[in-house]
Amino acid sequence: MEGKGKGRSYLLSLEGIRELFEALKDGYIVLAPKLRDGLIALSEVQSLEELPLGYRNIEAPGFCVIEKVEGYFTYTHPYNSFKSFLHPTELPLIRVRKEREDLNFQTLVPEEKAMCLFDIRACDLSALKVLDTVFLYKNPHPDPYYASLREGLFVLAVNCSYATSTCFCTTMETGPEVKEGYDLLITELSEGFLTEVGSEKGKRIIEKVKDKREAEGKHFEEKRKILEKTELTMKRAFQTEGLTKRLYERMDAKYWEHIEKRCVACTSCTQACPTCFCFDIIERNNLELEESLRVRVWDSCFSPSFATVHRFNLRQSVHSRYRQWLMHKFAYWVGQFDCFGCVGCGRCITWCPVGIDIREEVRRIAYA
Amino acid sequence: MPTLENPYLLKAGRVEKVIKECDGVYTFHVRTQEPAYPGQYNMLYAFGVGEAPITIASMEEGYIVHTVRAVGDVTRHIDQLREGDYLYWRGPYGNRWEIERAYNKTLLIISGGLGLAATRWVFEEALNKPIKRLVHLYGSKDYDSLLYRYLYENWSSKVEFYITLGKPDPRWKGRVGLITEILKDLELDKDTVVFACGPDPMVKACVKILEEKGLLLENLYASLERHMKCSVGTCGHCMIGPYFVCKDGPIFRYDLIREYFERKEV
Repeated sequence: MEGKGKGRSYLLSLEGIRELFEALKDGYIVLAPKLRDGLIALSEVQSLEELPLGYRNIEAPGFCVIEKVEGYFTYTHPYNSFKSFLHPTELPLIRVRKEREDLNFQTLVPEEKAMCLFDIRACDLSALKVLDTVFLYKNPHPDPYYASLREGLFVLAVNCSYATSTCFCTTMETGPEVKEGYDLLITELSEGFLTEVGSEKGKRIIEKVKDKREAEGKHFEEKRKILEKTELTMKRAFQTEGLTKRLYERMDAKYWEHIEKRCVACTSCTQACPTCFCFDIIERNNLELEESLRVRVWDSCFSPSFATVHRFNLRQSVHSRYRQWLMHKFAYWVGQFDCFGCVGCGRCITWCPVGIDIREEVRRIAYA
Repeated sequence: MPTLENPYLLKAGRVEKVIKECDGVYTFHVRTQEPAYPGQYNMLYAFGVGEAPITIASMEEGYIVHTVRAVGDVTRHIDQLREGDYLYWRGPYGNRWEIERAYNKTLLIISGGLGLAATRWVFEEALNKPIKRLVHLYGSKDYDSLLYRYLYENWSSKVEFYITLGKPDPRWKGRVGLITEILKDLELDKDTVVFACGPDPMVKACVKILEEKGLLLENLYASLERHMKCSVGTCGHCMIGPYFVCKDGPIFRYDLIREYFERKEV
C-alpha cells in the first residue's frame, strides 16, 4: 500500500522490527531510548531488547517516573535528545601545538561514523530540522563539525500513541504525527507495526526485512485514529499566531520580574532543550603548555558569565536571563531562522527543578 | 556533503611594529594581505588562553593595525607581543561603516576611550572622501589614556578634531569635560551622518543630544561591544535582541537597535 512516504508501506511483526534493527545495526551506530538509572535515555544500543519497550514515562513539571504498561513503543521521548550526539556537550575543534616559536593548528573534524536515530519522535525530528537550520542552512559559515556528525544519519521515526502532561507539540505544530524528514516511520497498531518508507535509504533497509506484509487501508485508518487520540490528550497551551509580536510588545512587562522568585538559573532547561545551541569555546592545555585543545562546550544564557563584556555581565538579573531565553525561543529565533526555537517537547518543564512551566509563562507574559 | 571550510582555523602574521600608546595599551602592526573594511574586527588568539574580538584600527599596505588594551585574560597575553613575534587570528568579521552614506553631507564621528580604535580607520578614510564637513569628537578619561597622540597634529590640520579629557591635567591645555558638552555646542546640519563608538552610557547620552538637535537617528550608526565568542553567528553570546552582534553588526543603524540597546539587560 502506498503511504504518504516515498514508497510502499508494510506491516511488520515484532520479529520484523527486530530484523529491521539488526539490518540497521549492520551499517550504523544505533542510538535508541534505553532504560538507564530509572530514566529513558538516548544511548547507543546493541539489541532491540535494550529499548524500554512496554515502559511509559509519566511526566509533570519537575517530575518524571517510569512505569510498566501493555504494548511496545509506549513511551514518548528520552530525557536527553539527539543534540548530545550531533552537538556534543564537549567537542574538540582544533589542536594547537607549539613548535619552536610557531603554532601549528590541526582541525579535529569528528570521525565520520554514520548514526541511526532508532525511534525518534515528531517533536525531536522538528528539533533536528531546527538545528540543521542553525548550524548549516541559515549560517554564513556552515559548521563542518555538525555537518560531519550529521552526514549519513539514518532517521527511523515513531509516531506517538501517548503524550505526557508536559508534551505540547500540538501547540507548536510539530506533532504528534511525523510528517517529513524520516527514512522510515513506524506506527504501532493493534496487529503490528505500520512501517512507511520516506527515502531511498529507508527503502534499501526495509528490503532486507523478510517478516513483513503489505499494509492495507485499514492500517492507515487505525494510524489516523491513534494520532487523533494522542492529539486530543494535549490541550492547546497557547496561541502561536501573533505570539512573536505580542512578546516584543511585552518586553517591559512587570511579570518578567516574578520569575526571579522561582528560577534558580540552574541551566537545566537549556541542557534538556533539543534546540538550545549556545556554546563556549574553552582551552584545554597540557601540563607542559606545549599543546592546547580548543574545545566547544555547551553554554547557557542562564550562566552568570554568558553575556559578560569586560568582566561585567550585561544580564545581571536572573529574570533578564529568563527573558532572553524565552524571547529567543518564541520571538528572536523567528527573525533569525524563520521558525520557532521551541518544538513543544516539554523537557524544560519536566526537568526544571522548581517546576517552571514555559506554557504558563508564555500565557502570562503574552496573553494575560 | 562537500568539505566545509573550518571557521575556527587561525592564521599567523608577523608583528612588524609595536607602539606603546599608554599604560597597558599597545598598537601592533601585523603583516598580512587579508582584505578588510573599516569597522570590521578580528578574533585575536593567545595560545592556551583563548580569543578576544579586537577592532581593526587601520589597514595599511601589507599590514593590519590592532590596538589592544590589556584588560582581559586574552589581551593580557597579547600585549606581551614584541616585534618579530607572531600574532594569530581569524577574521575579518562583521559589517563596516557605510561611509558613502555621508558623501556630500556632514560626517560627525564620536569616539569614547578605546572606541577611537574603531573609528580611526574610517576617519582617516573620510579625510579623502567627498564629505562636506568632517567633525571628530574624541573623549578620553584622562591625559594618560590618550591614544594615537602622533596622529593628532595631522588630523587637526585638516578637519575639526576636538579632544576632551574627563580630568584636568597640568600637561593638557585643551578641553576638559564630557564629550556631550562639546556636542551640545556644535552646530550641525539636520542630515548629518554620525558614526559613534564608545562606552554604552556615552553613546546613549550623545543620542539624547543629537535628538534634541533634530538629527535623524536613521543617520546614526553605532559600533556595539559585546561578548563575541565564535564570531560566526552560532554560539549565542553576543545576542542583543534579535541580532547577533558578530554577524549583523558590530555596526548598527541606531534606530533599528534602539529599543534593545537602551533597554536594561537585553
